[in-house]
Amino acid sequence: MSSETWARISTDSFNITFFAYLAAMIGDFHYLAFRRKPVWRIALILTVLGLGAEGISIVTRGLAAGRIPIGNMYEYSLLLTFLVVLGYLVFVEGVSKVRTLGGFPLAFVEATLAIAVLFLYVGPAPLIPALNSYWRQIHVTSMILSSSLLTLGCVITILYLVKDRRERRQASLPPPIMGGALDLGSETPPHFEAGADEPVGAVTSRKGWLPPAAVLDRLAYRMIAFAFPIWTFGIITGAIWAESAWGRYWGWDPKETWSFITWTIFAGYLHARATSGWKGRRAAVIALVGFVSLLITYYAVNLWIVGLHSYAGVP
Amino acid sequence: MTLRQSVALVWRSLRSMRTALVLLLLIALAAVAGSLVPQIGLSDARILSIFRDHPLRARIYDQLGLFDVYGSWWFTMIYSLLLLSLGACLIPRTRAMVRNVRTKPVPARELDAMRHYAEVTVPFDPERAIRGARAVLRRRFFRVRGPNGQPSLAADKGLAREAGSLLFHWSFFLLLVGIVFGKGTGFSGKAVIVEGQTWTEAQASYDGSIRAGSFFDDHHTGVQIHVDDFTATYRSNGQPEDFVTHAQLLDAAGHPVQNVDIRVNHPAEIDGVKFYQFGYGWAPVIRVQHEGVPIFDGPVVCRQDPAPEGVSPLQLPWNCIVKLPSLHPQVGISFRLWPDSRALYTLLDTGQSMPMLTQFAPVMTYTAYEGDLRADQITSVAVLDTASMRSFDDGALGAGKSVDIGHGLTVSFSELRQYTVLQVSRDRGLWIVFLAAILLLLGLLPALYTSRRKLWVTAEPDGTGSVLKVGGFALQRRSQFEEEFTRLVREIGRTGEAKVGP
Repeated sequence: MSSETWARISTDSFNITFFAYLAAMIGDFHYLAFRRKPVWRIALILTVLGLGAEGISIVTRGLAAGRIPIGNMYEYSLLLTFLVVLGYLVFVEGVSKVRTLGGFPLAFVEATLAIAVLFLYVGPAPLIPALNSYWRQIHVTSMILSSSLLTLGCVITILYLVKDRRERRQASLPPPIMGGALDLGSETPPHFEAGADEPVGAVTSRKGWLPPAAVLDRLAYRMIAFAFPIWTFGIITGAIWAESAWGRYWGWDPKETWSFITWTIFAGYLHARATSGWKGRRAAVIALVGFVSLLITYYAVNLWIVGLHSYAGVP
Repeated sequence: MTLRQSVALVWRSLRSMRTALVLLLLIALAAVAGSLVPQIGLSDARILSIFRDHPLRARIYDQLGLFDVYGSWWFTMIYSLLLLSLGACLIPRTRAMVRNVRTKPVPARELDAMRHYAEVTVPFDPERAIRGARAVLRRRFFRVRGPNGQPSLAADKGLAREAGSLLFHWSFFLLLVGIVFGKGTGFSGKAVIVEGQTWTEAQASYDGSIRAGSFFDDHHTGVQIHVDDFTATYRSNGQPEDFVTHAQLLDAAGHPVQNVDIRVNHPAEIDGVKFYQFGYGWAPVIRVQHEGVPIFDGPVVCRQDPAPEGVSPLQLPWNCIVKLPSLHPQVGISFRLWPDSRALYTLLDTGQSMPMLTQFAPVMTYTAYEGDLRADQITSVAVLDTASMRSFDDGALGAGKSVDIGHGLTVSFSELRQYTVLQVSRDRGLWIVFLAAILLLLGLLPALYTSRRKLWVTAEPDGTGSVLKVGGFALQRRSQFEEEFTRLVREIGRTGEAKVGP
């Protein structure tokens, strides 16, 4: 088939994706509010359908351009949202069996897709030489994979903050402090990260329309802890690519700088969870700051800040 | 407070996680500043425009080091403090780790008070039951102490978490060593090489300035590169497809070592010196004869003015200069090269500019000046100051043609060649940085995904068999440990059953 045909299939699948996710998002929010099981089932089917269509859109885009479709912001947005939805289905619905949250990641996904198609769309085309690197593909893939996990983690962190506030108000009690009571004696070195992945918040509250804060907190932590090494790996492979393309592995180019800032903030988050007085809400706020930084890394640097990465395909 | 006390206080606060956390976030904040304010070496033009339009703001920024955040004293201070704080945390932690590795798990009492506790009955005497439990735990990679005469065990697992965390954090020091060593002893510059020329890695050969590290001893390598030919290919829409320099690398003695193709993303290396494809341009071969005697002959490197907004550099002509200081009065000729003459004719006919992707009947326009070249003040070969000169001829000259410009001078344009611009750099710390990055990643994985678990088993006689009491807890990932604990208890119980079977 010709490049144009593939491009058309890609665009059509994109449209299917967009409306399937939209309907699924509405269904998920409906389920969150009214708990009708069939609605959740339909929303799940629509999500899977949208995911399939998005997969087709990505693959056909690659066929139309004759390369791996991670060459510009439009394509990054497609892959990012694909991975966010996939990550949601696998980790939140699958592993953690939490069914009420689907609307939130889908809302982010819809916003990202809308921005991508309205402002970032460029037709499928081959890459310029500087982008034509094996390392760059590994770099971009890991950055997007990690971004999708961080996004999920941060969406859940917002929900954690909401739920935690409600639980506290209901309990009218000082925040419960958990974890780290046992075996912190002589053989534990100072600041040993005991309980870094322990949920903070009451496990008791089963009422309300969100899962308990403790569940949300643990889920968010797992996402971010999973994403962090991938982000680190992404920065390292990016440095390797930069070394071969520009002859230096680090040059404080805005994109590099912001990926470093994001890394630093999430490193701060991981440490904060192991620091007394910073657990729970404060750590959650750091994660949200990290998410803002992630969005700046992803969008603002390409669109408004001039640098070596600014050629990353913005019309 | 005595000096000793205050030092202890400072050391203590450095060791606190809170200090490290604040410093980490400060680094992020400083980097934000560095990405918002234009930085020296990255966007010099924007710095100059701030100096021009907002002199006061520029002076304040400059005083605060905001134009060079990553080299400023306060940035250096933050990361030095962070590394100091890191070291202050890591030294006692490493000591504790070593102690931990050396001492085997400690026996414990009151197992039933532990977070996880179970009892399981097996049809053996306690000694044998304990041996069974030991086998199970060893198979699951627990460190086991005992039984030491008593029917009890102490076991633990997951030292990898702390070891990984230490490896991750120590790697930053290695990273710093790699960066400082590499940048300090390294150098980087640009080489402009015309097709057919050989370039030697030496101080004087570079185009423009060399960025050298503070420990670089000015001892250049003397390796050579001979450029056979340069090719730029474009797609039909003018998008670049590939830039290749076909070259031969020679060692310092001039012996050929290797033929290489240098492309974007594919540098070539000899003797630790790397060559990166950076740019290219056109170099017409020009010969000037004065009354039949050649006084100038060779390729002349042409450059472009910066392209205005919205204009591709491919649409612009190339400028170069030939200086003839031996004549009286001195003569300078400035050339304007159109590698594709159709672009010039289109521009003259319609006012439209078109991109010049390849050479096609190249043509040069020229203006010849006589007067004082002021060679004592203008050393650059690419600059012709015509302030004290007078033009005496101009015209156009096609490739393969000659022209008589008067004063007994004949200028010929024999052929058009290309030159390649290579970035040449040496960074001997690269492998250290790479190693540090790998160690950092290797440490990060167990530090995040494993957990430290402790387990104790005692056996007591119970009728014909014995009852095993198992207690334990995990320091991290407690919810996962619950499952693991149940599984271990089941396995410990099952060893007995399997061996006693019918």
